[in-house]
Amino acid sequence: MNKVLLSAAVASTLGMASYGFADGPIDSTIYGKVNISVVNADNGSTDQWKLNSNASRLGVKGKTEIADGLYAVYKAEFEIAVDDGDTKNGQTFNQRNIMAGIRGNFGTVWAGKHDSPTKLAQNKIDLFNDLEGDIKNTFEGENRVSNIVAYTSPKINGFATTVAMIPGEGADVDGDGNDDTGLTDGISYSVSYSKDNLYIAVAGDQDVDSQDLMRIVAQYKIDGLKLGVMYQQNEDNLGTKDESGYFVSAAYKLDSKTTLKAQYGSIEDDADGDKEDSLSLGADYKLAKGTKLFVFYTDNTDSSVGEADSDATAYGLGMEHKF
Amino acid sequence: MTNALSSAKLICITSLLLCANVFGACDFDTDDADSPNFMDRIIDCEKQPKSNSNPSKSVSPGTTELYGDGTVDPISGMAERPVAAPGSMNHSPGKAFAARQSYSLRPNAKFEESVTIAIQRLHLKMAHYCAEGWKMESQWTEADRRQEGDYYLHYRFRCAG
Repeated sequence: MNKVLLSAAVASTLGMASYGFADGPIDSTIYGKVNISVVNADNGSTDQWKLNSNASRLGVKGKTEIADGLYAVYKAEFEIAVDDGDTKNGQTFNQRNIMAGIRGNFGTVWAGKHDSPTKLAQNKIDLFNDLEGDIKNTFEGENRVSNIVAYTSPKINGFATTVAMIPGEGADVDGDGNDDTGLTDGISYSVSYSKDNLYIAVAGDQDVDSQDLMRIVAQYKIDGLKLGVMYQQNEDNLGTKDESGYFVSAAYKLDSKTTLKAQYGSIEDDADGDKEDSLSLGADYKLAKGTKLFVFYTDNTDSSVGEADSDATAYGLGMEHKF
Repeated sequence: MTNALSSAKLICITSLLLCANVFGACDFDTDDADSPNFMDRIIDCEKQPKSNSNPSKSVSPGTTELYGDGTVDPISGMAERPVAAPGSMNHSPGKAFAARQSYSLRPNAKFEESVTIAIQRLHLKMAHYCAEGWKMESQWTEADRRQEGDYYLHYRFRCAG
């Protein structure tokens, strides 16, 4: 059995060498990252240490020029669980963003399972993404949507827009009790402007993850300081939630290796007065290009009217390596 | 035996995927895949010069593109890639390659983004693929449209025959 494996390994290595000398470009790239952290999480009733994989991932992306100025583009990305090998329900790989599209001077038409334009518009002002302080733990709108069909415009004078349609495929996406079978049962869009160190975006959802939502995002960089701010309003289809809130973040680069980070978000439900707050503090220490160590502290508070506040805190140490 | 064959298949597939990575590598950041302009990054990261748009930028058929970055020590600013490491040297007489390296002329650019380091990285690549020597056929610079002041330095070279 070992000989079979050895032969396969040698054969594949030789294959690698021959590919290495092949003429012409190969237009696929494998990329990914491993992000692991040792975390102490305390939700008030349970205080435990954990090893987390933090959306470590493996992806393939690329393009092929199919005519002059016309490209087929694709991306397939999968989550991997560095901690226990189980991304979800015993699966070794869990689908993340997967899309295919056609790109030309007119823009890009693309489809797949992918982050919605609203989520993309956030533009990583969330400095604790995939950790306990992830903005998705407090705010709606951070959706990866199945069956998305989208158009992304070219960037013109700093402006770009993405509009996406999401067929319901028989699900009741608007909560009216009827199956939805149309092409535009859900809609997500974003309009952004970016120039030099400034980024501004307006984005919204209609009947996506049972929410109607609007958000405004701004990001500005001044030397070593990167500031982010977001304002959001959303309500669900059942009329039981009508939220509005804001989010601010700041990252300051102390030197070529060290970055200090802080962010705070608060959202309140006008329907029942419930409120959620999230505060995160942390620091990154760059070891090399693509490799860093990080520490963080997060306090997520859930305040429900008539009930005691629910407080969840976490602190941890981790590393990330991108490839 | 079935398990062995499955494992062998997995190794083969993994190796083929790794092959794709060898020549597909570029300065694409993993998190760019989730950014609003992820499509631009897929296209621009591996942008190939057009043969009919500007003769000086053309990459002739049979030229292998080597777009990608080496690792740079953040303290010394020197590329770390061990060119003389065992098994790292290649030489294909007469074979043509095109390499590209980003650099920046922005006032706040770091040393590791300087044209000096870009040139050094390109020479490391040339030495890596043409260990016995090479001839420089052309060089050109193109602007990086994503950031004013950023450029790509291109070298087209051929291994000594």
